[in-house]
Amino acid sequence: MQPDDGHSNRMALGRRSVLTGAASLAGLAAGVPGVSAAPQGKLTLAWHTNIAARWLDPQQHDGTASPDNFLMALHDGLIKNFRDQLYDHAALAERFEFAEDARSATFWLRPGTKFHDGSPVTPADVKWSYEHYRGAWGEVLREQTKAVEVVDDKTVRFQFKDPFLDFPILLGTANVCGAGWVVPAKYHQQVGSAGFLQKPIGAGPYRLVSQEPGVKLEFEAFADYYRPVGIKQLTMVSIPEAATRVAMLERGEADIIYFVPGELIDRVKNNPKLRLAPVVSGNWWLEFPGFQNPSSPFHDKRVRQAISLAVDRDAINNAECGGMGVVDGNWINNDVEYGMEWPKWPHDIAKARQLMAEAGFPNGFSVDWVTPTPNYYSRGERIVSQLQAIGIKSKLQVMERGVFLKRLQGGLKEWPGVQILFSATRIGGTWSNWYDSHFKCGGFNAKDFFCVKALDDMFEKYLASYDRNERKQLAEQIQRTMLEEYYFVPVFRHAFVNAIGPRVAANNWRDVFPTITTGYCYPWEDIRLV
Amino acid sequence: MGQFIVRRTLYAIATLFILSLTIFLVVRLTGDPVTLLAEPGAQEEDLAVIRKDWGLDRPLPVQYAAFVKNVLTGELGQSFNYEMPVSTLYFQRLPNSLELALAATLISFLIGIPTGIISAVRVNSVWDHVGKTVALLGLSVPGFWLGLVMILIFSVWLGWLPTSGQGGWRNLIMPAVALGWYFAASLLRLTRSSMLEVLRSEYIKLARLKGLPAFAVIAVHAFKNALIPVLTLAGINLVIMLNAAVIIEVIFAWPGIGRLLYEGIFQRDFPLVQGIVMEAGVMIVVINLLVDILYAYIDPRIRLTR
Repeated sequence: MQPDDGHSNRMALGRRSVLTGAASLAGLAAGVPGVSAAPQGKLTLAWHTNIAARWLDPQQHDGTASPDNFLMALHDGLIKNFRDQLYDHAALAERFEFAEDARSATFWLRPGTKFHDGSPVTPADVKWSYEHYRGAWGEVLREQTKAVEVVDDKTVRFQFKDPFLDFPILLGTANVCGAGWVVPAKYHQQVGSAGFLQKPIGAGPYRLVSQEPGVKLEFEAFADYYRPVGIKQLTMVSIPEAATRVAMLERGEADIIYFVPGELIDRVKNNPKLRLAPVVSGNWWLEFPGFQNPSSPFHDKRVRQAISLAVDRDAINNAECGGMGVVDGNWINNDVEYGMEWPKWPHDIAKARQLMAEAGFPNGFSVDWVTPTPNYYSRGERIVSQLQAIGIKSKLQVMERGVFLKRLQGGLKEWPGVQILFSATRIGGTWSNWYDSHFKCGGFNAKDFFCVKALDDMFEKYLASYDRNERKQLAEQIQRTMLEEYYFVPVFRHAFVNAIGPRVAANNWRDVFPTITTGYCYPWEDIRLV
Repeated sequence: MGQFIVRRTLYAIATLFILSLTIFLVVRLTGDPVTLLAEPGAQEEDLAVIRKDWGLDRPLPVQYAAFVKNVLTGELGQSFNYEMPVSTLYFQRLPNSLELALAATLISFLIGIPTGIISAVRVNSVWDHVGKTVALLGLSVPGFWLGLVMILIFSVWLGWLPTSGQGGWRNLIMPAVALGWYFAASLLRLTRSSMLEVLRSEYIKLARLKGLPAFAVIAVHAFKNALIPVLTLAGINLVIMLNAAVIIEVIFAWPGIGRLLYEGIFQRDFPLVQGIVMEAGVMIVVINLLVDILYAYIDPRIRLTR
């Protein structure tokens, strides 16, 4: 997963320990105060990559952060991440209850909600969407779910084989899973998957009017949406070249642009008409594949600690993100369940050299490759350069993204010799998704890189536990051990820097990017023009 | 003549066969598309399902046979990313690329041919040096850099032209200039050298000795003969601009075939990349074949010597 998308705000996770998830009725009352309900004007978003067709169908959610930008305009979920609510904002469901024993969840649909073709959103649509979902986490949901029951014309109940504590988080986190996003069952079956991608119909604040596949999407405000929609026409256009996006913003051809790279930040910053929106996003950390092997120089904790001390995190943040990222101490974002706060790591070259000497490397050693997550190659160069201060000589390895992912999934045999990975990710939901994917023995991106049995055993205990307090303790213990042992060396949370043009009504950039679990500017319906 | 046509056609078919095999293998060397089609948390079983769905679990010769069959039926397969036939996508974008390529060709003609003629006629003069400088810049200044500089000057500073996208004629100017610039330089060089060769020929000397006006000698006698290789190059250039204007189309967000190719590579969409490369290959091979046949028809020495 690319670390492009994220958020800036920190939050108290205490409120997440909701056992009975009776969601608030805030949805109906959540309209922006003091604005007219009649949508007006036109807003253009310059999207920073190509627009993949599958992002228009929640049934094909690929588990990355990108689809939610589009889902939030076109579709709607039962519950969702919304402003400072992590996953439990009442959307198509006006309320829901998550049973004390975590074996069932019941959702009551908001009355009068419709799809863009005028048909009502029904529990049957919810059931079909969930049962036919084939995207990220689909297998997990199917394995855990005993039945989806249509209770009456507005109520649907999910029953689980075992307590399923993560269910609401998965269902309501738009950048992780699309199973809770409701599509019109009859229409989807009628046109098929490919047909749906050409003419998707949802229940979101905007209906799709036209599309040029991969290039442009034209939306219009959906009059029957249950919240007021501010802008009448919304256009999302794919502009892969960053300089072109910035020029579009300067000329007023675009109102919001995503991803301003470091070299263009000052140009936006120096233009008084424009506003930067530096959304703090995914974490970056160093990892040492095969450090468990006694022959690896990274086997010695003092070497890993020395590397941590040698990395000048502030310098990297300044150079790469104009200082708008956050230098924190954990490799897991603190905006996911049980993600811990950890103090900033010190930068102390003298102590690092001393530790290297104590570990038997007074003159350092050679590392075959330092490989950063593509395509942030300059970040890898900075690590190569900074490690020279403690005698570690290394070379930068540049890889195309697909090749990088493929080699990660190949395990240690794909990374022979002495290697450092400068990894990054932005995973929503819960801390366990991070551990499971990036550290656990056999994890999708970890394979046989680390395999610390004591931690993996603790993680199994965590997964098997239905006791929330125990889970929290185990989650924190695992994270603390990883950090204290320097199994991973956290570097910083980078900023996904966006920019806003003068036509968008905002007192500060957070008015346009209020949702803390994303780098994108939804809820779309709340955006207004001046 | 008949034998010549058959021989050239067989060469063309062999070329297309080699091209199809090369592109089929090369796209597979870049990695497994399933890693991009699957979600990050996907397990090996999930990858296997996707592989099966898209026929990527079959042996390579079987996949290649299916690819060739698709090409022969004009289908080109189904795009992984768009879940649409590649041919539909290709022909959706073709008019946009054609518009851009024709405009760029026009610009390359307007710059390249007159400058090339002037350079040749006024050889070693200031005009010739100017022409050679234009050619040097055209060949050495990258199109992407020129494109970005134009956006900065004409869109941001002067506000005369839109930065990107497709719309009216104003949207076309900058991408056409950025794309046509390089080809203008190559036309300029070829026009100059071709004109120099013709201007040194006996029949031009005769025309001058006959007292024909200089303009008539250049425009009627020299230019017409110098034009043949220039037009051949322009034809090939047009096909390249049509299918491979990747960088320019990305910078100017122009929804053409080059951009589609970029999207295909970015998403590791094998059928899309293969389809576009094959379409471009077929165009180039067919145009070359037609030109060869035309040459042979005009000049019998060609069909005798080749």
